Formats: sequence, structure tokens, C-alpha cells
Amino acid sequence: MTQDNVTDDRTDRSTIVSPEDAGNESETPDPSGESSLSRSIAAEGRDGERVGTAQTVLEARDLNVYYDDVQAIDDVSLAIPENRVTALIGPSGCGKSTFLRSINRMNDLIDAARIEGELLFRGKNVYDDDVDPVALRRKVGMVFQHPNPFPKSIYDNVAYGLRIQDDTENLDERVETALKRAALWDEVKDQLDESALDLSGGQQQRLCIARAIAVDPEVILMDEPASALDPIATSKIEDLIEELAEEYTVVIVTHNMQQAARISDRTAVFLTGGELVEYDDTETIFENPESQRVEDYITGKFG
Amino acid sequence: MSTDTTGTDAATAITDSPGGAKRERLYRYLLFASASVSILVTLGIVFVLVTGALEFFGQYNPLDFFLGTEWNIDQHKLGVLPALSGTILVTVLSAMVAIPIGLAAATYLSEYASPRARSILKPALEILAGIPTVVYGYFALVYVTPFLAAFGLPVGTFNVLSASIMVGIMIIPMVSSLSEDAMSAVPDSLRQAGYGMGATKYEVSTGVVIPAAISGIFSSFILALSRAIGETMIVAVAMGQSPQLLQFAEPLANLFESNQPMTSAMITLVQAENAAGVIYQSMFAIGLTLFVVTFAMNLVSNWIAARYREEYE
Amino acid sequence: MPTGEAEWHGAESEVSQTRGRVFEALCLSATSIALVSVLVLLLYVANDAFKPLSADPGWHLVILVTLVLPAVGLALYYYRIDEPAGEVAYTVTGLPIVGFLLAGGLGVVFAELLAIDEYFALVIGVAAVVALLFAHTRLRPTAPLERVVLAPLLSIVVVFGTPPAAIAQFIGPDDWQLVVDPAVTVPGLGWHLDLGGFALTVPGLPYRIVSLPELVLKSPVLPLPSLQLLAALTLPIAGLAGWFVGRRHESRQDGLLATGLILVGGAATLALEPATGVAATTWLVVYTTTVVPLAVYVEGVYRRGQLAGLAFPVVLVAGGLAGAVLTRALGLAGPDVWLDWGYLTSAPNSDPALAGIYPALVGSIMLLIVVVMMTFPIGVGAAIYLEEYAPSSGLVGKFVTLIEINISNLAGVPSVVYGLLGLAVFIRWAQIPNGSIIVGGLTVGLLILPIVIIAAQEAIEAVPDSLRQASYGMGSTRWQTVRNIVLPEAMPGILTGTILALGRAIGETAPLLLVGIAASVRLAPNSFFDLGSAMPRQIFTWAFEPQAEFRYGVLAAGVVTLLVVLLVMNATAIVLRNKFERTNT
Repeated sequence: MTQDNVTDDRTDRSTIVSPEDAGNESETPDPSGESSLSRSIAAEGRDGERVGTAQTVLEARDLNVYYDDVQAIDDVSLAIPENRVTALIGPSGCGKSTFLRSINRMNDLIDAARIEGELLFRGKNVYDDDVDPVALRRKVGMVFQHPNPFPKSIYDNVAYGLRIQDDTENLDERVETALKRAALWDEVKDQLDESALDLSGGQQQRLCIARAIAVDPEVILMDEPASALDPIATSKIEDLIEELAEEYTVVIVTHNMQQAARISDRTAVFLTGGELVEYDDTETIFENPESQRVEDYITGKFG
Repeated sequence: MSTDTTGTDAATAITDSPGGAKRERLYRYLLFASASVSILVTLGIVFVLVTGALEFFGQYNPLDFFLGTEWNIDQHKLGVLPALSGTILVTVLSAMVAIPIGLAAATYLSEYASPRARSILKPALEILAGIPTVVYGYFALVYVTPFLAAFGLPVGTFNVLSASIMVGIMIIPMVSSLSEDAMSAVPDSLRQAGYGMGATKYEVSTGVVIPAAISGIFSSFILALSRAIGETMIVAVAMGQSPQLLQFAEPLANLFESNQPMTSAMITLVQAENAAGVIYQSMFAIGLTLFVVTFAMNLVSNWIAARYREEYE
Repeated sequence: MPTGEAEWHGAESEVSQTRGRVFEALCLSATSIALVSVLVLLLYVANDAFKPLSADPGWHLVILVTLVLPAVGLALYYYRIDEPAGEVAYTVTGLPIVGFLLAGGLGVVFAELLAIDEYFALVIGVAAVVALLFAHTRLRPTAPLERVVLAPLLSIVVVFGTPPAAIAQFIGPDDWQLVVDPAVTVPGLGWHLDLGGFALTVPGLPYRIVSLPELVLKSPVLPLPSLQLLAALTLPIAGLAGWFVGRRHESRQDGLLATGLILVGGAATLALEPATGVAATTWLVVYTTTVVPLAVYVEGVYRRGQLAGLAFPVVLVAGGLAGAVLTRALGLAGPDVWLDWGYLTSAPNSDPALAGIYPALVGSIMLLIVVVMMTFPIGVGAAIYLEEYAPSSGLVGKFVTLIEINISNLAGVPSVVYGLLGLAVFIRWAQIPNGSIIVGGLTVGLLILPIVIIAAQEAIEAVPDSLRQASYGMGSTRWQTVRNIVLPEAMPGILTGTILALGRAIGETAPLLLVGIAASVRLAPNSFFDLGSAMPRQIFTWAFEPQAEFRYGVLAAGVVTLLVVLLVMNATAIVLRNKFERTNT
């Protein structure tokens, strides 16, 4: 897939998803029809707090994360727009996964982790005392680096989230919908009762995505979801992510820069020490980055 | 603004705990309570032993108990030294059996055995620890003692030697398995360094691996000795019921005659016809002594093992 | 320098070579000496228990030809050529053995503890509770907390009923009494509660609520015991087997068919009573514990087409039968074994020829029941807390570290000390009768609790973290993650560890001696509060009998019985572990 394709996709999507938003935010449709949205994001992102035409779903304000005494995230502020794919890239150990996990408070499971600053989900700081991480995670789902289906049947995996929420009306139908959205239905519809562990790695990962979207979250966090897969499975996952962005906000961590360029609308570059060096429209990051360090990283001189 | 409305909705959505938050808390408390049972058991043991022992020492002079050289239930003479000699005898003798054999077995398993041999020998050795001790006692009484007598040793029906041999065999797996764990944990780079300098396998095993694992090995010795001190049934069946002081004039006679360590003295006390009052209470004094000694040994062993683990992690 | 060259590539010096070899040989012989010496002792004991030399040499020859040689040959074939079939062979041979032991255990329970009609009534009570809770789930799905409260309450009221108000009068200290005021309490009308000055009258409460099992027992038309067993024992097992088969075939129909077939088979065993003279209930118990699991397993083997393994039990049974027929025909006398059916079913006796181990066997089984009921919930609960809930920092974190250190130290406390604890707490303080089964079980339970906790912790720790993350990432609460993900994955490991710990429990003797478990009893205990003996306690008693027949006969047979029970338990645990490890990779 080329850079141009990405741009086209994005443009299409903006017309499908956010016509009302676009109207509200006084977006003037670009007669050329090319990349209007991204330009507007980029433009407004630089001079205003609001990020483009899309609403901000998640916003980090001066976020710091420490593991014991080691600082993993260094004073990061960024706003993630709704119904877009936002990529977090950077060399390993740069804190991008830590940032991802701090969004749905998966870091709570690590005793040594300590968080300072604010992380707003729809305007509410998720680290406020009255926020229940369990409720948060039902709104902000997650897909992990290695496929981790439960040792249960395919059906039970997808139904798991609905069942733990005691939300079992039309279960069959919703499992089917989730599998269809994850582009897995046709491959598994005859073996729903078989163990999920019998699927291939790529199928397992799509199952994990189906499992995450079955409960209809607002945001899906993906932690290098394709890094353990072969190229064909990877491209299927990438197609899927782009489709998902029609309905969900996707935040994806990847170490694969081409992948970020292909599928994301916005890209944040983290460099060593958990520092957010640049956050902008993907196209800008890859074609015309402000920071020399980002350019060095993108062109492979470093990292 | 639309952001505000969705904002509040989302805020309530993530602050409203999903159904069953109370249930979550209930389960947490229930599980915490079951984890705390172990603390209750320890406190219970300490409380029972200390109150029992205090009651005993109210009726019987502690000096007479700890320094008394005579043990006779019928005459209410309750000096612990004879039973203590029995315990020391059994512990030392069984250590003489278990430590060399256990350490050699650990060396073989860790350094020499093929994976296949290891996969058979290791569980087989652990079976030894699973045989009920009353069965070992029976072996000692019915088979080992006559066997020793057939060799011309002047052993009595109940004697220290055969009981100690059996206690030794019983604690071999404890020495071998824990020492082997310690030796296997020695990083391969150390062995390679040894071989790289032209050392033979024997030299690497004895000169590199065992010294590197020495604290783990020691901790296994201490743990095994504490098991030997606390062992009850083998000695109750095969060693007799008459605590005796060590006879320094004839050291060998100590082995061939009957004796009784502290553990089985408690069995005798609880079964005694006149087990009441001070006789009965003396059990708690012995129990306390036993508990303090073994507990301290276990603590030391764990402490050594923990220090050792830090070295290689 | 030619000499130098010759030196560097030559063999290392002979001394160091020999030293290395001697050292290796020493280490190997040390490893073997412990194993061999115990093996020899075990052979001695088996020899004394079975006295094979008392048999006619011809008998040995016949058995060798009909049974031993074919079995060994087949085993060698499996070992060398067809290992998967070998596995099938050992499972298919071991399954009926475990089944028969289970049937024996159930038989003991029905004979000594719980009559069949009582069991039937109990099952109906439990089923009613389950049905009520299920209905509650359906009607009020959003009130899980209500269910948490309701579940124990319903279980107690429906299964046990409430204690009669009159009995409550005698419970509790003097100034805290539940007094039945005759003026208010006409049976069925109300309670009057008098808490030393503070009085409360509850008019609506019935005198006592009768439990469902009691009602069932009082019902005038109770089906035959065999039919009761069919409904309360075979039906649930058949349902379970059907579910299993249905899953395996991925067809609900096949599952139902299997359930139906098993029930029909169960009903057919009822016809065996008139034909054999053995009670139909016995047949049904054996059928349910032995034939059903075997049939389900064999069906699976048949599906996989590994039929070669099934030959092994056939060879064993056919060889045994042929041997028996031949030796009888030739008039060859078999060995005069100590450990025979009579030994297992009769009481201790001062005449060695009549002495048996039955009451001690029953005592040991009941002791294990108490131990399991006590240690399993507490042990698994503690392990879940320590692995899944415990924080590692803060005040609670320090307390948790203390618990962990404490557990590993408790595992090293001499067993005789636990005996003192049981003596002081259960007998002197709680006033439970000295020497009763329940005191013995509770004391041994405390002893193996740390072992169960440690084993369960290991099993829970082995559950991959990625599964937990996936579950939490979906917004599961801790308990949901534990119940749905962690426990199902860890359960085989937990069961393995628990069975191994029970193996330790069944051989424990010293604590039993201190809490006064009887040296030997003639009648098996009928309730958990009865005085009872246990196998190791009985062995200890026999060890002091002076006659050779005891030492080299009765005692040896007792030791072998104990070891066989232990062996079967450990083998089950190991098979479980292997099966679990294989499905996981």
C-alpha cells in the first residue's frame, strides 16, 4: 500500500464519519477533495488546543509515569481525536507501550508503577479517585502484542466480555457481528465451538480484536498487534484497523514505521526516556517533520 | 457544547462501578481471611505452647527441667537432658547418612545425569520423602535391626542405630533436591569458564559448582536436620522408650542401645496412664523447645537460601 | 619442540582421569543406594504380606506362563514400538482400579456414614437449592450480591432446616440465651428471644423449618434403594459423561444418546441382583464408578483408532482367569496371603489369623474427608489471595510478606507440634470428643494446609500472565478474572497438588497419637464425632505386638495396604498432571 492510498482512505472516511462534526467545527469542504481533513487537523493542531475537526476523546496533560525510580513517561501532553487511528512510534524502551497502558490503567496491575499528571477520557481524569478502572476498561478495550485467546471455544472468547457484564441478550447475534467486524466470521463460522487455540496466529489476533469490540468500547488500544504475525496476517490486521476506525478510536503502538505511515491519521513519536518529541498529522511526521531527531529516527539514522 | 454532554456521560460511565463491586469487596475479604488462617495457626501454636509451658514451669522448676539428668515419669522426674541426648544422637547419625549421600546424589543429578536418567531418578528420590514415616519405623524395627544383628552388631530390639539410618534415608531427598536446585541455578557461564581453563568435569563440579552453590547446599542441610529433629514416628516405633544421657565412656554403646528423643517422649507422655497435671504439662515444655529449635533452623535456612538467590538473580 | 607437541594433545593424566571416573561412580552409587535400599525393604514387606513362596512351584509356573509372560511381552512391545498405545494400555488398566477403589470408598460411606435413602434425600435437597439459585439468576440477573447472601442461607435452610427453637435454649453462655417462651411458642407460631434483660418476641417464625431431605425421608412412598441410587448417583454421572461425549463429538445429540445409554445400562444392572445374589445397589455403585468412565474412555480410544492399547487389560484378565482355572484343575495351591479380602473387611483381633484393617481403613477415609473439606477451600482461597489480590507494598503488603514467610515456615514445623495444637484447641478448648475422627481430621488438616497453599500457589502462578491481561483489558473485575480464567486453568494443577498433600495426610501418625485417635477399634466409626482409628495408627499399634505373625504378617499387610492407597493417589495425581501438561502445549 502506498502513501497515496492512505491519504485517499482517510479522506473517504472523513466524509463518512464526521459530516456533522465537520459542519459544527466550520470545516469548509475542500473542492479538490484531497486530504482536507488532515490539513485542517494539522493547521488547528498547531495554533489551538483542539485537534482538528474531530473531537478529542483522550487527552494527556503533563503525564509522568515512573516504575519505582525510573521515569518511563516524561511530561507527555497530547490529544487523541475521535474515530481516527493514532499511532505511537519510537525505538524500544521509549515508553510508548507504557503510555498506551496508562490510558486504560493497565499499569495499575504493576505495583511499582506510579503516575503523575492527568489523563482525560471525555474530559474526565481517569486517575481520579472515583474512577473504577474496571468500568474504564469496558470503555477502552485493548489488544495485546501476542495473541492471547482464552483456552475456551471461539464463541466463548468473543462472548466473554458480554458475559462478565451480565449482558447476554442476543448473544449469538452479537458474537456474529463482532466476528464479522473483525473479518473472521467467514473463516470460523462452522467451528465456533472449537478451541480458539486451534486457530492460526493471525486468526487468533483477529479473534482477540473481535473479543475487544464485542463489548462495543469507544477506544481500542493496540500494543504492536501485528508484530508477532507473518506479512499476510499483518496486512489483514492492518486492513481491519482501518475499517475499525470508522466506528472506534484506535490508538496503536508499533515499532514498524511503514505500518504507522500506512494506517494512521496522527502519529506521535516518542524517543528515549519517555519523551514525546513530536505529535502531528502522519503525513507531516513522515514527510516534513519539525524535529531533526524525528527525521533522523524516521530515516533510520537512529533508533 | 457537545463535548460537555458526552464528557459527563462518559465520566459517569467510568465512575459508576459495574454491578457487583460490593461482591468484589466481599470476595476480597473472604480470600484475605483464608490467607490469614496461616497466621492464626502460627499464633495458635505459639500461644498454646507458651501458656502450656508457663503452666508447667509454675509447677516444675525450669532449671530442673533444662538441666535435669533424669527422666522418670512415675517418679515425676522430668529432666530434659536425656531426651535431648536422644535427639542429638538421632540428628547427628542421620546427618551422617543423609548429607554425603544427598550431596553426592545432587551432584550426580545436576552435573552428570543424562536428561533421561534425571527424569527417572529425581521423582524416584522424591518418592522416598512421600513414604509415611510410620512405615520407615516399621522397616527399621522389623528388617533393619535384625539385618544389623546378623552382621554381629550387638543391637537391642529397640536401638538408636537402625532408627537413625532410616531417618537419614527419609531426609536424603530433602538434601538432594534442594542442593540440586541450588547447583542447577549456578549459571552455565561459570562452568564454561572452568572448562575454558582446562578443568575436568570433576574439577568443575567440586571446585566451581559446589562452592558457588554452597549457601543453597547449607540451607538444605539445615532444613534436613530440622526435619530429623522433628521426626517422630520412626523413633517412636524403632528406638524404644527410655531416654538416656550420652555415655561418653563407651561411645558405641550409645548406638546399640535404646534411647528416646524429645518427639517420641511426647508420645509416651500423652499415652501414659497417669497423664495428668505436671506430667501432662511437661509435653508443652518439650513441644515449645522443639518448636523454637526447628522454627529457628527453618528461618536460618530460608534466610541463607534467600541471600543465595539474590547472588544469581 | 617435539616433546611439547606430544604433551599438549595427549590424554589428560591418568590420575585425574581415574579420579573423575571414581567420583562419578561414587555419585551415581550414592543416588542408587538410597533407592535400592528402600526398594529392597519394599520387596521384603511385599513378600511378607503376600508370602509368594508359600505357593506350589507349579502354581508360579502356570501364572508365569498364562499371566506374567504375556503381560510383560506386551508391555515391552508398547515400550519399544508403540508408545501411544502403551499409554492407552496403562490408562485403561488403571482406570478400573481407581474406579473400584472409588466404589469401595462409596460403599464404605453408604454402609457407615450415610444410608442410601439419606444420600438420596440430600441430593434432592442440594438439587432444589441449585434450582432455586438458578431461578434467581434468571429472575433477578442484576442482583449478584443478593445471591451471595442467599446461597449459603438457602443451602442451610433447605438442606439442613433450622434448629428447633427448643434446642437453642442449651446453646451459648448463661446470659445470652435463646429462650422458648411456652406462652408464645406453640410449635409453628413464634419465637421469644431473651438476651439477658433485652427481650424480643418474633411471632411469625415457625417453631422450626424442616429441611427438604427430612421431608423426603418422611414421605410414605420412597422408591427402592437401587432406584434412588440410579437417580441420585448414576443420573448426575451420566449427565456429566454425556456432556463430555457431546463436547468430544461436537454434537449435542451424541451427548444425550450417551447419557441415555448409560442410564439404560444402569437400569440393566438392577437385573443382576437375582442372577448373582449380590445387591443391586452394589452393582450400581461399581457400574457408575468403574464401567461408565471406562466406557467413555474406550469410546474415545475407539474414535482415535488406537485400539492396540486395549489389548493389555484383555491379556491381563484372560491370563488371570486362565491361570486360575488351570491351577485349580491341576490342584496347585496358591500362596497363603495375609492381605486378602478377609483382611480388608474384618476388624482387628488378638488372633493374627482373624485380624483385619477394615475399621482403620474406614477411619482413614473419613479422616481424609474432613481434611479435604477443611483444607481445600481455605488453601485455594489463601493461594488466590496471595497470587491474585495481595498488594506488594504498603501495610497490607508487609502483612502479606509475613504470611508468605510464615507459610513456608509452617511447612517445616514438626507434625507432633500440630498434635499439641489440636489437643489444646480442639479437645481442651472446643470440647470436641477426644479421639474423634473430626479432631484427627482437623489437626491433620492444619498440618497440610501450608502444603496445599503452596501447591495451589504454584498452579496459579503457572497460568500465563497474558490471559490475565486479556481479561483485565476487557474490563473484568479481579474476581471475574479469577473465576473465569485463572481457576479453570489452574484447577488441574491445584487438584494434583491437593491429592499429593492428601497422600501426606493419610500417612501422618504423630498428631493422631496426640489427639487420642484410638489404637484400634472393632467397629468402624458411624459419624465424624465417633471414636475412630486410622491405618497408620493401627500400624503403630501392631508394631508392638510381639508375635511373629503380627510382625511379619498382619503388620506387613497393613503397611502394604497403606502404601497401595498412597500409590494409587499419587499415580492419579501424576497422570492428571501429565495429561494437563500435554493439553497445554
